[in-house]
Amino acid sequence: MKTILIAMLLTTIAVPAWAHAKLQSSDPPANSSVKSPSLIRLVFSEKLEPAFSGATLSDAAGKKIPVSASVGGATITLMPLSLKPGAYNVTWHSVGHDTHRITGNFSFKVVP
Amino acid sequence: MLIAAAARGLYFAATMLLFGDLAFSLLIHAKLPVILPPRDIKLRWSALGVAAVAGLAWFLMAVAGMAGMLDVQAIIQTLTATLFGQLFILRIVAMTALALVLKRHAKLAVLLALIVLTLPAGTSHAAAASPAGFTAIGAILDATHLGTAGFWIGGLAVLLQLHRRGEPNILLALSLFSEWAMIAVLLLVMTGLINAASILLGDAGTPSRVYLIVLGTKLVLVAAMLGLAAMNRFRLMPQGNDKVIARNAARELSAGVIAVLLAGVLGQLQPTL
Repeated sequence: MKTILIAMLLTTIAVPAWAHAKLQSSDPPANSSVKSPSLIRLVFSEKLEPAFSGATLSDAAGKKIPVSASVGGATITLMPLSLKPGAYNVTWHSVGHDTHRITGNFSFKVVP
Repeated sequence: MLIAAAARGLYFAATMLLFGDLAFSLLIHAKLPVILPPRDIKLRWSALGVAAVAGLAWFLMAVAGMAGMLDVQAIIQTLTATLFGQLFILRIVAMTALALVLKRHAKLAVLLALIVLTLPAGTSHAAAASPAGFTAIGAILDATHLGTAGFWIGGLAVLLQLHRRGEPNILLALSLFSEWAMIAVLLLVMTGLINAASILLGDAGTPSRVYLIVLGTKLVLVAAMLGLAAMNRFRLMPQGNDKVIARNAARELSAGVIAVLLAGVLGQLQPTL
């Protein structure tokens, strides 16, 4: 009984956790200026449902850039071909096991 | 959002009623041979029917929410490629099995009703908010929360059925219910607090005001239920005042059903911003 109680109390210790799949971090980070990245990685707060999660990349004019995308665990990875200098926008949508859909976007710049 | 919340709330209310009714009836059968447990088959079939329809509506709303549209492709993708869809298939299988054994095998029916009630815990906010990604911890806590709430609510329904038929030994049934319900309520409150803490405090974001209002209302209702239960157990039961006890139990049950419907709303809300 004591072990169960301790285990239950341990679950309340504040390890960052969310009830919806929110974007935690990205590489490149939002609003950053970087050299042409070989991949763009979005890390979410919880495991994603790959069937309903994804992201697209577009340039400053809003034109979609063809990328190879993969969703695994809590991460979405985009692998663009070499990006020319300029501003880019990543638009993502995530669905966690709780079935709730969240959308968002962020921008970054590629510098020479 | 409201339809999905209502469907979710109704699913839980119906499956809790069914599980608690079956479980407490079985307990009476085992512990109190002087009382013939109520067997309101119509009530059980109605609860199962409501659970099936509400569960289907909840599933379709979830598909539409995830895919942004509702078509055959999205339904197939949900069933084959998401945890929610796979658990939904298991729920349908368990519900079908429950329908087949509802009249004949009491113990198996209790087990199947518990499975039908608790399977959604695998995709709950509590499971998603488990620390360090240990989904099983949150899922088990949420399943315990659902199961104990079911025993409380369904047990009250059994007591009301006994009162309605004028059962002379109703105080014995009430005493048995009190013993078990005390453990159930303790677990219910404990798991509820842990779930709320991990969902709200584990997040770096600000708790949503709407979420807090709905959660607060649910807690007030549960507190009122606890007050009524305590009054029944410690004041009215020693006096043998079964009429007032039954009236309080009906109020307690009503508050419980509203609390469950609010839990359905909580499941659809974003806890933190």
